[in-house]
Amino acid sequence: MENNELQKIWRSIDLEITQKSKDELGLLLTSKARQTINKFLCIIIISIIVCAGVLSYVTITALDRKEDLIFLINNLSLGIITTVALLSGLFSWYKLRNNKFDQPLRNWLEVRIRLLSKGLTGRSSKLYLYLIPFLYVLIVLSIHVYFEHKLFLEVLKTEESLIALIVGAPIGIFVSYYAARKIRKYELSNLAFLEDLYGRVINER
Amino acid sequence: MKSTKEEFLEILSNYQGILHKVSLIYFKNASERVDNFQEIVYQLWKSYSKLQNRNSIGSWIYAVSINTSISRIKKISRIEYRETLPDMPDTSDIINELSKNESLKLLLNAIYKLDEIDRSIMLLYLDEKSYDEIAEIIGISKSNVGVRINRAKESLKQNIKS
Repeated sequence: MENNELQKIWRSIDLEITQKSKDELGLLLTSKARQTINKFLCIIIISIIVCAGVLSYVTITALDRKEDLIFLINNLSLGIITTVALLSGLFSWYKLRNNKFDQPLRNWLEVRIRLLSKGLTGRSSKLYLYLIPFLYVLIVLSIHVYFEHKLFLEVLKTEESLIALIVGAPIGIFVSYYAARKIRKYELSNLAFLEDLYGRVINER
Repeated sequence: MKSTKEEFLEILSNYQGILHKVSLIYFKNASERVDNFQEIVYQLWKSYSKLQNRNSIGSWIYAVSINTSISRIKKISRIEYRETLPDMPDTSDIINELSKNESLKLLLNAIYKLDEIDRSIMLLYLDEKSYDEIAEIIGISKSNVGVRINRAKESLKQNIKS
């Protein structure tokens, strides 16, 4: 088979393609832009609601328990960690979304790998694996102590609370750790896929 | 005077074949191709205002189309991602859509057996792009383009014969 024969065969693909009119292309663009904006707004709104909910709960319950220092420290840590985690999550998601596609494949892969690697293989890459179970413990403690209407240390000394903590906490920690690991595993496989592609692009065999 | 959007749609209308072809070589399923086509249109629109060199519109469209498609492969194949394609790829969807052009079906089947990078390079070669343009779009050296095209061509020919 001659080399240009392949090109000749390929040219016939144009006959198979159904061309879209300008109006159809315009409609495609408008609906995609609308979908993207809705998705973007949805993520922002959910993050704000979660963040505002946690902060309101933390503030209201802290004002109600001004005399309990340990409870205040627990709530303060909960508020700070939730806000920082949500903001940094939103920021990295926004950066990844704005990854420019109008560059050579090799450069595009480099940028995308760099962005993903920062969060997945950097110094604090495994932090959120432990942060999520830790947040879970803080939330459970805060809610439990608040609705027991006793001081933090007093609640922890009661038999029921100890049993509940010994049984409930490990299950919750395990479930949240497992969920965080699953997400991380999926993101790592994405990164491996991009690195594999990059390896094949730069391979000057 | 035309608005930016009208100007963009005019260009898109003239070059839409590239979007169709890139979607075709990466996605066998019709609905995935439609989604990919739409995503490429959106990514092109997003970068249109920053397009400086109006003489290389074709290269810009190829680059955005290839990068967008590659970014979607992993997402879509989350359920069944296979690094190496099986000997008999499932192209029934496309085969049903294409007319009775047997040579084209054979060529397309052979393209599906190439890896993601070689598929892009071969598409550019089959679309008669120069080595310089291919090197610019993929971001590799011109000599490497030559080596890869020869290798992929051999592979294509063997796949077509088998």
